[in-house]
Amino acid sequence: MIRSEGLTRRFGAVTAVDGLDLVVERGEVFGFLGPNGAGKTTTVRMLAALIAPTAGGAHIGELQLGRDNRAIRRRVGVLTEAPGLYRRLSARDNLLLFARLHAVSDPSSRVERYLRLFDLWDRRDDLVGTLSKGMRQKLALARALVHDPDVLFLDEPTAGLDPEASRRVRELVESLRSKERTIFLCTHNLDEADRLCDRVELFKARIVALGKPAELKERMYGRRTVIHFGDRPQGLERALDLPFILDTEWADDALVVGLSDPERENPILVRRLVELGAEVRYVNELRVSLEDLYLDLMEEHDA
Amino acid sequence: MHNILVLLRKEWRESLRNKMVLFGALFLPAFMVGAALFMIVQGQGVDIPGAQAALFNTALMYFLVLPAVIPLAIAVYSIVGEKEQQSLEPLLATPVTDLELFLGKALASVIPALVITWASFGLFLGLSIPFAGGVPPHVLTIPWLAAIFGLTPLLSLTSVGITMIVSSRASDARAAYQFSSFAILPPIVPLIIYSTRKALVSVALVGVEGGVLIVAAVAVLAIAVRLFRREQILTRWK
Ligand SMILES: Nc1ncnc2c1ncn2[C@@H]1O[C@H](COP(=O)(O)OP(=O)(O)OP(=O)(O)O)[C@@H](O)[C@H]1O
Ligand SMILES: [Mg+2]
Repeated sequence: MIRSEGLTRRFGAVTAVDGLDLVVERGEVFGFLGPNGAGKTTTVRMLAALIAPTAGGAHIGELQLGRDNRAIRRRVGVLTEAPGLYRRLSARDNLLLFARLHAVSDPSSRVERYLRLFDLWDRRDDLVGTLSKGMRQKLALARALVHDPDVLFLDEPTAGLDPEASRRVRELVESLRSKERTIFLCTHNLDEADRLCDRVELFKARIVALGKPAELKERMYGRRTVIHFGDRPQGLERALDLPFILDTEWADDALVVGLSDPERENPILVRRLVELGAEVRYVNELRVSLEDLYLDLMEEHDA
Repeated sequence: MHNILVLLRKEWRESLRNKMVLFGALFLPAFMVGAALFMIVQGQGVDIPGAQAALFNTALMYFLVLPAVIPLAIAVYSIVGEKEQQSLEPLLATPVTDLELFLGKALASVIPALVITWASFGLFLGLSIPFAGGVPPHVLTIPWLAAIFGLTPLLSLTSVGITMIVSSRASDARAAYQFSSFAILPPIVPLIIYSTRKALVSVALVGVEGGVLIVAAVAVLAIAVRLFRREQILTRWK
């Protein structure tokens, strides 16, 4: 649905995006992660036909960037980094403006639907200047959706939202995915990206890593089993002479064991530990957060 | 066309909620009507023909200052306001074309400027009857009517063009106001010429001014259109 080849954007001496090759499938939630200044917003602006690339190109479906810009803008929805609402207009008038510019067939009822969806119906006639930050963010999200776009670019959608509203946004993204909408999500909330995204790209002007969150973690850290003991047994690692163990390390009173096939190897490992006289209390899988992965990969990239 | 109407509606709705804009667009016309009436009331008793003509001409001149000044307030807030609210990017992400956006902004100030100017001129003519027995026909001549109805659109277009250029560069409304205020030069310069010549306005004078204004309007609008490209707005405007 989104395809870019060598997409590049320079601002004077700064190369904000450098030869980005990207393929995002229809119905996919694609996480675009990177530090401040990585070029995420610039990428979104190029893909949404807002600014022109310095080099390279992209397609949204069969539409070509540069040639079909107006059609692209009709087809995509953009939640911009700054909500950018009209403070002197009411919540409803803000949405009506965009529904009309997108030539939505029945603007009033469409706007009502989105105001209700985001719990803003009761505040519909209030000027946006009087709404809270989170309400504005929700309104901006409603604005990005009001014309029912096939492709949605979300630049930090949950920034400033309370946990309940963030959850609502995540549910919304899930429901859009189930309707085969394509979502390009820029976020600094890595937990959110982990839960929501089918694939993530770590990006810093150039690609750092790309894949399913689980695969990336596995590729980086392998699979690890954590075993908690009653009291820390002495010399246990040396006595653990099983051939399939890749490596071991202690984390406080827990032993972390690297394995390649834990479903098969865990029972053998636990049996051996018990034979050695260890008092096993819990066995679980080590959960690496996307944050750990992100920080390690970025560090590795910078080195 | 549809998009321009949608944008106009939004611009006006916003302007009506902005006290600064309302004040700028309504106070000055009211003041000018009062001042013009005062002038012709004063002129009634004067029997030196040159002096009377100068007074009457100055009174009518006020209605050429209005179309240049009214768009200032509206256009400054419409552009600087968008910048302050960071609302241009979402707007530019819609299928609106650059030209539609430009025309929406320009017409949003030109149309009210003309309506208010002509309405205040009508109000002045109406009020002049009880106050001064009307404007004498040898003052309100064809060249004057040509100026009030023909030059005003050109004056407000020039003014809007200048204001749009300045506002696209300025980061706050006050600075934009200050730098755009020389948009009132086009009507002020002829005002000085007329009032010192102590003569009635002629077709030739109005024609020359019209010609100059057409060139000025085309030039500033051409520059303004170039500044109103999506790419420019998103990457160069501050
Ligand atoms: N209009 C512009 N003029 C000059 N440089 C720009 C412009 N827009 C972006 N840049 C530069 O391009 C780089 C990428 O910026 P961008 O806003 O795309 O980053 P980002 O990944 O969205 O960052 P953040 O997480 O802070 O939002 C930065 O170095 C920025 O300074
Ligand atoms: Mg950004």
